[in-house]
Amino acid sequence: MLQQLVQSTIDRKVAEFHAHELPKFNFDKVSVDSSRNERLKRAIDNAVVRNDKGRQLKMLELPDSDRIRTLAGDIKQHTLDYLDYYLIQFTANVEKRGGQVHFASDGEHAKQIILDIVSSASVKRIIKSKSMVSEEIELAHVMEAAGLDVVETDLGEFIVQIDHDKPSHIVTPIIHKDKESIAKLFSEYFGTPYNDDPEALTAQARVYLRDKFRKADLGMTGGNFLVAETGDVVTVENEGNARQSMTTPRVLISLVGIEKLVPRMLDLSVMLKLLARSATGQTMTIYSSVFGGTRSAGETDGPEAAHVVLIDNGRTEILASEEYRETLRCIRCGACLNACPIYRKIGGHSYGSVYPGPIGALITPLMQGLEQYKDLPNASSLCGACYEACPVKINIPKHLINLRRDVVKREINHPVERLIYRAYAWAMGRPWRYRLASWGQKTTLRLIGHKGFVRRLPFPGGGWTQVRDMPEPAKKTFRQLWQNKK
Amino acid sequence: MNDPHNVIGKVSRSLGRSAPPATVPDPPALQEPLIRLVLSDIGLPALFEKRAKENKIGVTPLRVESLHEELIGYLKARRVKSIALPNSKFLNRLEIPRVLREAGFIVSIWDQMTLDQLYDVDASVTDVWRVVAETGSLVLRASPEHGRALSLVPQIHVAIVEPKNCVGDLIDLFELTTREGSSSATVIISGPSKTADIEMNLVTGVHGPGVVQVFLLK
Ligand code: SF4
Repeated sequence: MLQQLVQSTIDRKVAEFHAHELPKFNFDKVSVDSSRNERLKRAIDNAVVRNDKGRQLKMLELPDSDRIRTLAGDIKQHTLDYLDYYLIQFTANVEKRGGQVHFASDGEHAKQIILDIVSSASVKRIIKSKSMVSEEIELAHVMEAAGLDVVETDLGEFIVQIDHDKPSHIVTPIIHKDKESIAKLFSEYFGTPYNDDPEALTAQARVYLRDKFRKADLGMTGGNFLVAETGDVVTVENEGNARQSMTTPRVLISLVGIEKLVPRMLDLSVMLKLLARSATGQTMTIYSSVFGGTRSAGETDGPEAAHVVLIDNGRTEILASEEYRETLRCIRCGACLNACPIYRKIGGHSYGSVYPGPIGALITPLMQGLEQYKDLPNASSLCGACYEACPVKINIPKHLINLRRDVVKREINHPVERLIYRAYAWAMGRPWRYRLASWGQKTTLRLIGHKGFVRRLPFPGGGWTQVRDMPEPAKKTFRQLWQNKK
Repeated sequence: MNDPHNVIGKVSRSLGRSAPPATVPDPPALQEPLIRLVLSDIGLPALFEKRAKENKIGVTPLRVESLHEELIGYLKARRVKSIALPNSKFLNRLEIPRVLREAGFIVSIWDQMTLDQLYDVDASVTDVWRVVAETGSLVLRASPEHGRALSLVPQIHVAIVEPKNCVGDLIDLFELTTREGSSSATVIISGPSKTADIEMNLVTGVHGPGVVQVFLLK
């Protein structure tokens, strides 16, 4: 009875949360909105351009960055091709070290597993470090809704949590926020005077969170890598909060995607050399932690119970496609976001998905269904900057083109778009049709144009002129000019 | 086998087989020339010193005779009152616990204190498992004598490093880890805790120590 009541409150709260969800990616709306938001563009540029430059400089330290990226991609590809084998090996090794591995088929299943662990261990206070998978399944909201005291401990994620916002970048979650808005938020949340000095803000969060660390009985982490041959989870971070999660609380849950495996401990030397350089232009992230199983006999900190929850949530769908399988190599470094001219203009929220940027435009439709996210593959200029940046050499532009192909093949693109293409094909079929079409186009545009510019195109071209004017076409078409020349 | 929750089964089917393979081909060879950045074993402590300083880790090279005086001076200058230490043969041999107590610090030893008490301690002084010259990093491993929290919770972390602790490259570190087996937790520390979350302003000392200092014995 009580269980039912709790469940229904959770369901309601989650439904309420979804009601406030980001709208799905909509090209017209996004391009118009973001072209008007200069401040956002500046904030994003400030962060991502710097990280992008840092990456380019740091990669120069490697003897042959192109070949080391190939090697890293090959290691990940090998792991994906034999993922079932490595999952079994990893599980056996975690169990040898006193830990437990749980497999979750989707978000709902993962949440159930985690809530079960929480209730059977009678846990009260939870500290959670940053992990994209938990964003994927909205874990923090579910825990909050279940009445648990759960706090995000990465500074950026903490700010996102208390502001009921969403991260806009997979590595630097709050680049869309300025310090004034954070200062305002803190002064309201903590009831303290306004102070927008980043040091002071950080200090305030530190004091608050330190007390949470001290009293926590469950820690949650993600995992950047899982080592199959040892059963270790590897986290990489700058602040130290993931370390807190695996140090202080008596129970530890690491929630990780099944694709995060690498076969050998030695593979970390390749991956760690690439990850921090690609993500933030650092040689090494401040803390790289390698931990597995429970605390050993005699140790007085670290978890007494250690759980690894490995989640599928659409990944096996991608695995099954030989064409798209390589997209699962992703180590979530964010380099493709930083390099992307579209991301820089529209920011992370515009993508309307947990994973933004080029990799988000790719894996979101693949994991969650192309029907729902059919516009996302268009959020790219196909310039190839993402592919150049990617440390595991995922050919993102190629896959985005293939997704566009899939959209057309399945006929799920907009009917008007299909109509236009059909009309276009008709016009291109015979010279007289082409002449007719270009004459019609020219005449109409000159008719509605004024002083050399068309200010508003009629349907379906309205989006084009919403933020810019279009020059009127010339009096004579190219073909007419050509004729006269002869 | 068609249990929707059987993820491994689903993985196998996605890869076009009915069951996981019993053996797999070797993963790609690591091609050391491609990934190794530190080619020689000569001058590792000096390289470590340089890289660690780039990481904003303080490094003081010194002879063992001046260690006591320098260490006490360093801690006093930062108004440290209480210190936590691992129960380390190396530190005990250097008589660090005794010397610090005699200098007036409140000294607690990891296996005689609680984790909760550590939250009220100003600084920790530890040994290291290894340091990595390539990246200027300290590597610490958890044990009953040396808790994970020692290098994390106090706001000042001082490490005493011997030249023989130095390995050259991350490859050497992970080869060693592979040979010796994993401990329950190994952490590679490459600077003071930091964040750049707020408008890319760098702030040090978030959840881990804001100050990391190495005394590098000659
Ligand atoms: S796709 Fe490549 S560049 Fe983008 S986040 Fe993943 S690993 Fe990094």
